Amino acid sequence: MQGFRTSSDKVLKWAFIASVSVVLLLILLPVLHAIQLSFYHSESFVSNKSWVGLGNYARILNEMIFWKALSVGLIFGCLTIILQVCLGIAFALFLDRNFPGLPIIRGLVILPYLLPTVVVALAFQWMLDGTLGLLTIWSEQLGLGRPSWFENPYLAMTVVIVASVWTWTPFVTVSFLAALQTIPKSLYESAKVDGAGMWSRFWHVTIPMLLPMLMVIILLRSIWMFNKFDIIWLLTKGGPSSATEHLPILAYRRAFLQYDVGGGAAVATLSFLLLSLLILVYFYYYPLEEKESSH
Amino acid sequence: MVYQGKVLFNVVLQMEIKMKKNNELINKASKPTQSIIQGKIQRREILKAAVAGAALFAGGSPAIHAQQKTIRFLNAEPSRDSVKALRVAAAEYERISKVKVVIDTVVPDDAYNKLQASIAAGTPYDIGTLAFAGHVFILADAGKLVPLNSLVSKYKWGPRILFPIKGQNYWYPYDYNFCWMYYRKDLYQQKGLKVPTTWEQMAENAKALTGDGKFGVAQPLGNNAAAQWMSLGYMWADGVKMLDDNFSLVLDNPTNKPKVMAYFEFMKKMSPSMPQGMTQALFGTVLGQYSGGQVAHAPYAGRLMEVIEDKAPDLVSKTGFFMYPDSAGKGQAVNHGYDGWVVLNTPMKDESLKFMEWFTENQYINFLHSAPLHFQPARLDVYDDARWRAHPLIEKHADLVEFMKSLLTRKDVIIRSVDTEGPRIDSRPGKMFETFAITEGLQNVIYNGMPASEAVDVMSKKYRTVL
Amino acid sequence: MIISSLRPEKELFDVPTLIPKTIDWQFTSYKNLLELTDYPLQFMNSIIVALAVVVITLIISIIIAYVVTRYRVPGKTMIVGSMLYAYMFPPLMLAIPLLSIFATLGLADSLIAVVLAHCTLTIPLGVWMLWGFFKVMPFDLEEAAMVDGCSRAGAFFRVVLPLSLPGVITVSIFSFLLSWTDYVFAFVLVSSDLNKTLPVGLASLIGSFDARWGELMAGATLIAIPLFLMFVFLGRYFIKGLAAGAIKG
Repeated sequence: MQGFRTSSDKVLKWAFIASVSVVLLLILLPVLHAIQLSFYHSESFVSNKSWVGLGNYARILNEMIFWKALSVGLIFGCLTIILQVCLGIAFALFLDRNFPGLPIIRGLVILPYLLPTVVVALAFQWMLDGTLGLLTIWSEQLGLGRPSWFENPYLAMTVVIVASVWTWTPFVTVSFLAALQTIPKSLYESAKVDGAGMWSRFWHVTIPMLLPMLMVIILLRSIWMFNKFDIIWLLTKGGPSSATEHLPILAYRRAFLQYDVGGGAAVATLSFLLLSLLILVYFYYYPLEEKESSH
Repeated sequence: MVYQGKVLFNVVLQMEIKMKKNNELINKASKPTQSIIQGKIQRREILKAAVAGAALFAGGSPAIHAQQKTIRFLNAEPSRDSVKALRVAAAEYERISKVKVVIDTVVPDDAYNKLQASIAAGTPYDIGTLAFAGHVFILADAGKLVPLNSLVSKYKWGPRILFPIKGQNYWYPYDYNFCWMYYRKDLYQQKGLKVPTTWEQMAENAKALTGDGKFGVAQPLGNNAAAQWMSLGYMWADGVKMLDDNFSLVLDNPTNKPKVMAYFEFMKKMSPSMPQGMTQALFGTVLGQYSGGQVAHAPYAGRLMEVIEDKAPDLVSKTGFFMYPDSAGKGQAVNHGYDGWVVLNTPMKDESLKFMEWFTENQYINFLHSAPLHFQPARLDVYDDARWRAHPLIEKHADLVEFMKSLLTRKDVIIRSVDTEGPRIDSRPGKMFETFAITEGLQNVIYNGMPASEAVDVMSKKYRTVL
Repeated sequence: MIISSLRPEKELFDVPTLIPKTIDWQFTSYKNLLELTDYPLQFMNSIIVALAVVVITLIISIIIAYVVTRYRVPGKTMIVGSMLYAYMFPPLMLAIPLLSIFATLGLADSLIAVVLAHCTLTIPLGVWMLWGFFKVMPFDLEEAAMVDGCSRAGAFFRVVLPLSLPGVITVSIFSFLLSWTDYVFAFVLVSSDLNKTLPVGLASLIGSFDARWGELMAGATLIAIPLFLMFVFLGRYFIKGLAAGAIKG
């Protein structure tokens, strides 16, 4: 780590400053604009605004639907992350061997992640169609009747969780698979020699080595899952009766459909603050700067 | 091309300035470093420029051109034929006037958001398409629309389609999309059924036609526009009013509340005759189910006939239609639906008005023909226009067309929708529409076992929060 | 899960009367799709945008990540942390002010705007990943190269870049994917049919009233297959890349 001494350093420095400025400009300006919107009351993005200060926040925090959306978001976020991580690790372990057709299987495993969300939503709607969906017909054949996938709040939540897990577990799988490659086999060998069984090896060798990667994945996925808009919107639009409506959907509906731009922006800002808190906590435990580079 | 050239030139110019600055720094460094750094920067900048240039040229669509006038038109009819009709009209207009008309097509649900986004960002479209009166009201109220009185006053129009705001017309409607009920005449014959005039009969008919994996009727019940267009007709037929002339909610007053409760209970009674998944059903779902023979009744407008002509022609002769019956056999209704154009207050507004005048004189019928039965003309003169009548489908389905026209002139038909309630157009009925309180009420009664009275109270409470 | 991914493909060939589980090997859906919509044009647009995004993301992420790991930079954490803000707001709300910014620059309704908007999503990820790579690369290697007469830039190109190739490829793939599948920004920022990208085109197909399942599924497959093939072949590098990124002390 050094200062910018030579002139070539200085060139790099200007390039750095330029890049960072442009990027932050493109990111922060819209964010600030959106936050600013939350302090006004407006029926659309073009109507006359009236300043209400924290009025929107007071109103939103008083509405049941905000807290419901928050809980939906938390439930959805937690469950999907837990499932994604567990399944992701399991798949990674499974794929961490060499067998014929590995590239193809690997490709198949990551396929869900490659599909645009729109396509995934369509596929699930297709499979869960009330009369013709594959899963509906199977469940009938299994004697379980025709479940109302999207009318029952619990089923709807399940569908949404399953779809999200299906789509984004590959991200975890592949990251984990990659990380697994970096664990020196010698560690496993010595553990085996010490008499450790498979589970014990996993718990005491694999997990500790991969903890940093795990934390990064969990952080990124938390942010993304909490804010995941497309998949839920496309599948249920937040229904039935807001059973699957989380903060991003609430914000969208308020601002773009229900003629309440300030309210929507307020919801979005609150969600943003929550996530910022999460990030701060993360940086506290896992700062970007380590004390000593151990390599 | 000139415009793109200009932008590219600017980009290159800025890079040259940056490079000059860097050059001063570089000159102080050692020779080999200099050349490498220079090379690196140059390569990077050139790469950026190349990419930018390529994207620009590949993109190919300018904003306001210095030399050629351009009008940007937001279209919300994405079907191939409608887009084609518009593009043909645009090309023709460019030929005669040298003004270019750029068409952007989006799905109807996105039109309003795209329109307001474009205005908010300072790059408004010049002409837009809207399907909700509330949206027209909001934009007009914010001063973003141009009055179209000169265009509108030339013609006679059907009922409840012009939405004047303080005497000005900001909206040029191009069609009605009333929703009524289609049914299978052949199945009726088989089972000896008659066209229902009451809810009882409707439920009975639906029940009689349910069985063997087929269902009596498809009524969407989700929190979406499809449900509010297709499933409320029965209630309107009974004369239910949601708002009075002061925009106060009267849905739960002593006159209306019992009717709404009865309507909820009727829908619940009919629900076993509906296929699974009605809360997910959208416009296309119902079309698919009827044309696939899975349901015997389907609510829709002219589009259903067009679809079965295309996909299930053997059903055409077997399909009949009727209006939503009421509870007592005395009235009937259709659910309101409509689309129209607005001209926005942009620097190009004079050109836009000229284009709209030309378009509505010369190309309107062509446009209507892209969905001949679904785009029910809002202008009365079209019905007598031989050019419109000359379309094969319109000729073939003269009875349906007569029926549709009669809806405009009969005095005993109720035409209503949630978003057109109230004495004049306003954003409040639009907000009511977006709460989907009534579809929630339906869901509460049908799926959650809530008593109808409670459901009406919950619904009214929700409506009051936006009034 | 793998089985589920195969299922959608099978149903693609269903006959319009929608009998489940019948496979009908006609390619009419595909033919219709290519003839009747702007699919080829949108495909080209999507590719151009995605490739541009990859290039710009790589260049900028490399600069930022490299500088952050090799030099003293005040406020490092803040800078990198605030890049994450792009992920924390509903994209549609950010898209409108972005459109406004681009409009003032004269870039509204251009693919450049879409490229830049996508970059705001891909660069934070790129910086995070490459940061991990450059961090674990000991400076001694570069020093050795510079002692041998390389300039700093030369050392970078000859030593650092090759070693972090997996990471670079990883970032490329992620960026490409993010750009290829984005709907919101492409929707808001582009306002003429000529500049539309694939997801937007697909959406209008869905929104049009005649439930054209056949063409829809055909479009979906055509979107997925190139990515699938790409991953089968590049999967190796991708995994190696993530592996090296995992070593974050």
